[in-house]
Amino acid sequence: MRDLWQIFFNLIGIFFVLYMIGYASFLFLSVTVGSSVLYQSKRRNTLKNELLDDYYIPVSIIVPAHNEGVTIESTIRSLLALDYKLYEIIIVDDGSTDDTAQIVQEVFSMHRIARPIQRKIHCQPEEAVFETGKYKVPMTLIRKKNGGKADALNMGINASKYPYFICMDADSVLQHDSLEKIVRPVLEDDHVVAVGGAVRPCNGAEIQNGHVIHYRMPRHPLACMQVLEYDRSFLAARILFDQFNGSIIISGAFGLFKKSVVIGAGGYDSKTMGEDMELVVKLHAFCRENEMPYRIRYATDAICWTQAPEKLGDLCKQRRRWHIGLFQSMTRHRAMLANPKFGLVGFISYIYFLIYELLSPYIEVFGVLTIFLAFFVDMVNVPFMILFFLIYVVYSSVLSLTAFFARIHTIDLKLTFWDVLKAVGLCALEVSCLRFILAWVRMTALFRYKKKKNSWGRIERKKINFK
Amino acid sequence: MGIEVIIYCYGAVCVGMLVFNSIYNFYLKRSSSKLEAKSRKIGRKMEEQINRVRKGDPVEEKHLEYLERKLCQVNNLIAFDRALAQFLQREMDTAETAYLDQIQVVILHLSVVYLKKENMQAAYFAFFIAKYRQKRQMQMDSLQRVLLDYMKKDSLYCRVNALQALYAFGSVENIVEAIRLQDEQDVFFHEKILTEGLLSFQGSHRQLIELLWAQFDTFSEKTQLPILNYIRFRTGDYCQQMYEIMQDEARDKELRFAAIRYFGKYPYLPAQAPLLAFTADKDPLHWEYAAISAASLAHYPGTEVIETLKEALHSANWYVRYNAAVSLDAHHLDYSSLMDIVNENDRYAREMMMYRLDSRRLQEAERG
Repeated sequence: MRDLWQIFFNLIGIFFVLYMIGYASFLFLSVTVGSSVLYQSKRRNTLKNELLDDYYIPVSIIVPAHNEGVTIESTIRSLLALDYKLYEIIIVDDGSTDDTAQIVQEVFSMHRIARPIQRKIHCQPEEAVFETGKYKVPMTLIRKKNGGKADALNMGINASKYPYFICMDADSVLQHDSLEKIVRPVLEDDHVVAVGGAVRPCNGAEIQNGHVIHYRMPRHPLACMQVLEYDRSFLAARILFDQFNGSIIISGAFGLFKKSVVIGAGGYDSKTMGEDMELVVKLHAFCRENEMPYRIRYATDAICWTQAPEKLGDLCKQRRRWHIGLFQSMTRHRAMLANPKFGLVGFISYIYFLIYELLSPYIEVFGVLTIFLAFFVDMVNVPFMILFFLIYVVYSSVLSLTAFFARIHTIDLKLTFWDVLKAVGLCALEVSCLRFILAWVRMTALFRYKKKKNSWGRIERKKINFK
Repeated sequence: MGIEVIIYCYGAVCVGMLVFNSIYNFYLKRSSSKLEAKSRKIGRKMEEQINRVRKGDPVEEKHLEYLERKLCQVNNLIAFDRALAQFLQREMDTAETAYLDQIQVVILHLSVVYLKKENMQAAYFAFFIAKYRQKRQMQMDSLQRVLLDYMKKDSLYCRVNALQALYAFGSVENIVEAIRLQDEQDVFFHEKILTEGLLSFQGSHRQLIELLWAQFDTFSEKTQLPILNYIRFRTGDYCQQMYEIMQDEARDKELRFAAIRYFGKYPYLPAQAPLLAFTADKDPLHWEYAAISAASLAHYPGTEVIETLKEALHSANWYVRYNAAVSLDAHHLDYSSLMDIVNENDRYAREMMMYRLDSRRLQEAERG
């Protein structure tokens, strides 16, 4: 019996060594490439290798909102403060049960108007349309029947006038120069069909007219850990995928899309929870199947500030939702897996997301359970296990801090000594505790997900510190 | 044993990362203060030479040699740029102007040096020239010739910055040559960058348009389109030429659309009949012609125009209907003149017209 256990644990050991080598190598590669791209881009800016003049590509900003009464006003004010001339704002109220629409109408003096909307993509019908021309750009508010975020975005696309649109969350604010930066890849390359912006937690930041005037690490440890996690997992990995046109996620909080291609691909899928990832994967499939040259880019300097959940329950809700969205997109586009037709997207991006994102919670929780099992049958070398765990914590923490400091250094943010200490301490906590909690949450996400697939997944909102 | 080696390797990577982070952070902090010190030092040397010029002496040969030697390094050029910016912030006296004239030989030398450097540094030099030129009335034909060579580099930023510098110099011939060089390269250059750039040209736009037009057919379509857009923003003197493009079925459709838009901005009586014909065309394949023509008819008077636009409101295409409604609205017809549309059965036409009338009312109310 003991021999059988031995064989079992040996096999498990080999699997985990390979798994960890793969993950550690990916993490190392992404952080190294991510940091060097950030440093390179700082040098490029110093040497004025950028489009300095105002080349305005007309853009429609679509803000889908559902019960966003707390944040909607500051979000719109931040949009009106953008350093850009040619854009419109479309707010789509997706059947809110709070006063979201009323706040927008009253604060921005909008008037009801009988506006016909062309149905290029299917969406729930509008109930009322309001407009105003009093501000520097035209603003439209569409009140519609509830249909989910994807449906609201489709309505926004239908109502938009311009050839490019931006999707964003109603609880986020865009930095003053974010539009100018996000359209740059389009000016540089005609084949760009989508550009992802950099999403950063705004907890701890004070933003005035779209400028960050004061930046500190968030007071709440949970938000603080997410800041580090965003830099390691999202910023670095997305830069790496961008190097070979392999991005398969553009955050729903801030992304630019070419309208004609999105319409051609059928718009957002209102049946999925992760409509943002689903759209990008669909764009890859659509462009490749139609043999259309295309690029999906990531603009590290186009910044959107968003609220990171400060309650564990809210964070779990958010991650559950992300994981279900990931599952839906990956299963729907499973034909991509190692398919030469999809190039590196099928071989690297898809496989990475499959193993290290979709299956990772199962693998990680299984790993922890195996350790307990080995402990009970007295087949674990405890000192080595602790040493190995400490090495893992140090390695992941160093990579998190590298990505974090690379971002801080390259955008000239100043941190206090206390903030640095906080970052160092909390990154260890993040990789050793939070990561496993979230692995459990993600693992259990798929249970009973069908019941909630069209819900907006409410997270408690706070007023954003936007002046 | 194998596992331990891997663990040690990754441990070494961790340490490497920590060291790199610390060194880079230190380097960044140091380079910023170093740049300021360099800038102050160059500024002092400039001040000394300006004082010499003020006394009637020329700039010292050794100062020119110093600049030639030092400014070959891009960080020193950045420091020089900052020092120069201090002078350019205010109104310069004659001594300062004379100093800048006397160091032009250094700039010319540098233009050749940076041409051979990597693209990023070459782009910075071109940026520096564009900025410097815009503040100073400097004519350097030889420098412009070198800048044309910057247009051949395979960096978008280098070409854009070189073009900016050439626009600032204001030489029509050099701009046309630069555009030709750009056109001959098989790399993407967004039409907006070209159109906006041409609009920022500091010389005579009339002469530039004349020369561009004389060579128009020698450019490829990707360059012809921004040229047409540039002409549309600058002058209404090219109606006859635009008319020919609009009517030429062999031309690329984007060029013909640009010509149709031109007649929306500059009404031209001979163009009215073709615009009406485009608008009335119900072929779904020609909807873009119909939509753009409907928009262009906003400033053409007459009942024939009104009737054609009213008819276009019944188009199956949303954009044709929308543009027709906008143009009808621009004719400031009173409500009774639009009664036939409002009362008829075509719901789509009625909704579109009502929306425009509502919009007008809203705009008037908001204007107070």
